[in-house]
Amino acid sequence: MHTVVLTKGVPDFREGQVSFDEDGHLERGKTPTVMNPNDKHALRAALQTKVRNGGTVSLLSMGPPGYREVLQEGMADVYADDLYLLSDREMGAADTWATAMTVATGIEKLDAEPDLIFAGFKTADGETGHTGPQTAWCLEMPTITHVVALDIDEDEGSLRAKRLVEGDVSEIETVETDLPAFVVADPEFEPTYRKAAHRLRWKDLREATQERAENLDLDEDVTVWDHEDLNLDPDYIGLDGSPTIVAGVDPIPKAPAEREATLVDGVDDEAGMERVFDELDAYAAGD
Amino acid sequence: MPEIDPTDHEIAALGPKIKDVDDPDEIEAMLDLEASGEDRTAVVTLLEDRLEKLTAADEAVDPTAVDLSEMTVADVANLVRDVDDADVLRESLERERAGEDRKTAKSRIESRIESIEGSGEEDGDGPAYVPPEEKYPKLDHPTSEKRWVEGTVGGTYRDMWVYCETQRGELIDVSREMLGKARRMMDQYNGEATDEADDEAPTQDYGGDEDGAPEEVVAVLIGDGVGELADEAIAYGADRVVYHEDERLGRFRHQPYTEIFCHMCRDSAFAFRDYHEPRYTLFPATHNGRDLSALVQGELDSGLASDCSGLYIEDAMISNPAKTGQAGDSKEFERILHMKRPDFSGFEYSTILCIDKPHRDFHPQGGSVIPGSFAVPDPDPEREGEVVEHDMQLDESWFSVAVTEYDQLDDGVDLTGHEVVVAMGRGIGDDPTRGIELGLDLVDAFEDAAFGLSRGVITSSYSFDGHVEQYVGEDRQIGESGQVVEPDVYVAAGISGAIQHKVGMDESDTIVAVNTDPEADIREFSDYFVEGDLFEVLPRLTEALESGELATVMQEVSDD
Repeated sequence: MHTVVLTKGVPDFREGQVSFDEDGHLERGKTPTVMNPNDKHALRAALQTKVRNGGTVSLLSMGPPGYREVLQEGMADVYADDLYLLSDREMGAADTWATAMTVATGIEKLDAEPDLIFAGFKTADGETGHTGPQTAWCLEMPTITHVVALDIDEDEGSLRAKRLVEGDVSEIETVETDLPAFVVADPEFEPTYRKAAHRLRWKDLREATQERAENLDLDEDVTVWDHEDLNLDPDYIGLDGSPTIVAGVDPIPKAPAEREATLVDGVDDEAGMERVFDELDAYAAGD
Repeated sequence: MPEIDPTDHEIAALGPKIKDVDDPDEIEAMLDLEASGEDRTAVVTLLEDRLEKLTAADEAVDPTAVDLSEMTVADVANLVRDVDDADVLRESLERERAGEDRKTAKSRIESRIESIEGSGEEDGDGPAYVPPEEKYPKLDHPTSEKRWVEGTVGGTYRDMWVYCETQRGELIDVSREMLGKARRMMDQYNGEATDEADDEAPTQDYGGDEDGAPEEVVAVLIGDGVGELADEAIAYGADRVVYHEDERLGRFRHQPYTEIFCHMCRDSAFAFRDYHEPRYTLFPATHNGRDLSALVQGELDSGLASDCSGLYIEDAMISNPAKTGQAGDSKEFERILHMKRPDFSGFEYSTILCIDKPHRDFHPQGGSVIPGSFAVPDPDPEREGEVVEHDMQLDESWFSVAVTEYDQLDDGVDLTGHEVVVAMGRGIGDDPTRGIELGLDLVDAFEDAAFGLSRGVITSSYSFDGHVEQYVGEDRQIGESGQVVEPDVYVAAGISGAIQHKVGMDESDTIVAVNTDPEADIREFSDYFVEGDLFEVLPRLTEALESGELATVMQEVSDD
């Protein structure tokens, strides 16, 4: 079983990490990069597969050389055997379609053809949710998105998944398909380890993983491919190959003032806290 | 006698005809004929509109003298569109700066100046084509022959195709919302809008396609028994409905739905579709609609914006060399769908454009629409349109993903209808798990309270301990893309107050904000602003509610 997990680095949007300039625009340079939070769910799905079904896991990303650390971060979560980074100035500023074409080409270059590819839903920066399905389309693989639970039957070479559907009502579907397949994990994805043997193996893998991730040599242990390695014409990747462009970025407008707030100067402002408490007390539980 | 007797024509035929009539007297004569003849309200409106346009153009609006501060931005945009003298425009720009100094008005004038001067040197052919073998000799070519590159150059494109998603045999709300928005945009585009533009950003009036013929809204229905919904799609604004029915299509499946949509709009032999592909496509930003949008646009070798909350069509001045083919020069691209969407986890709005590049077309220009972004229009059961059934052999291999079971889920967490809502924001960052615990404790101290989150908590890369993890999910999000609540009391802890959050809670009776940053936006729409750390403030409030008294708590603390 060969599994590939796609991941991406994004700005760290946590308070205190994220930085904005005077006009309210995100300052990418001053904001640290972390692994896209939604990708954790793809990693969990891959880890579940590795624990329950064995095999190897390759972790693949596209981005600047600094993304090697994102791969390292990912490795600590799922025992990845190989790390790949598609990195080249020519690939920069790609939209989802140009990214999908590049990533699909990278996957086709891997030695072992994957049985399963996992991606997360939406990145925290672009927030499109397009790259996973578009990459699957390029690879002509059956696609299952918004997956919350997954079972692989290796003997049958098939998978069964539960996926969420939203609309005017929310639904849950059970779907089945043959491997190879492309799975986009939903943020609600829950790994399941029913057997005691699985839980033991999970523990062993986790320890080995973290040790390997700590001792990783970012230069040696990450395979980096540029556009020449992938034989991709620069006109078809990165900004040049992207159908869409960002024409303008506006900071979210400030909400107009509507209420005159009574200021309470910290917890020790007794009178202020008393007024807040009076507002809340009528709704208190009990008696 | 006017040349055209309006009473001889249907209103649809009359629209394009009177566009060529430039004499106000002629229109007046036609109005008289109509009044003494059939006196149809719609025709009278149409003629009066034309008359108004002609007389307005006559009175004209001398751009060198007009008072810009008296005009709306849309009027300024219309005015400058007809001015070809850059110096006159520069002078207008100066007057706008000295007067109202509106950013949007200035940018309209600037882009018109750029459009006149930038296009001056163009030869119209763009950059010459250099074969990739010459341009990049190190590569083993060609990428252009990869199966996912379509390779159309200079194709013809028309109409706006709208994918109408269904559930349980009915159109879902966002399908109706998109049809209404598409109708409005195309009416403005065709110069047929009957009321004043009150949109935030109206679509430019092109008077129809490049030949002056109106472009249509085409609704697409795919599923089992969806043909029955065609009339409803027309009532909500479609000019035409294309549908494909098959019992195997009862549940959405990625491949067959994509193959069918693409065949309908690129390969089908419908008489009306005398073009290569649609000019525009719209999809709902639901789980399945968003997936379909990505696959259809990919298969058509084009691009798209996801989760849009604003849409309009107008010309765009572009300096990006990837699109113009050469550095330095700006070029005007016509009829561009402007797609506005919140991104960067809700910190910014971006406007996305999908634009052809030299030697490779990127059409259709596509996007998906956030449910609830546009109003559901009033259906007009009298509206007429054409319904066509799509025929195509469906390959069995497209159904390799089988749906074996499905169930409706409970609606998830309902944050509405409670007396109190406690919502947590990124202020929990120092100890996210503890932050959630404190919020939940406070919820428990109320008789009837719900626990909500700002979008920032959901998209940040916090790691939570298992026992609170179940409380962190999109189903608890309050705001533009989450739930809208209006409780008696809203407690916002560690929430800075982005406008997308505000729209989800500002109807609450009393708003109590807790934030360490005295400059936080939320202060502007709170009744009480506790400048303090939620890790201190929330436990105090919880204890006070549990004991029924605040003073003792304060006392105990100061005794420490």
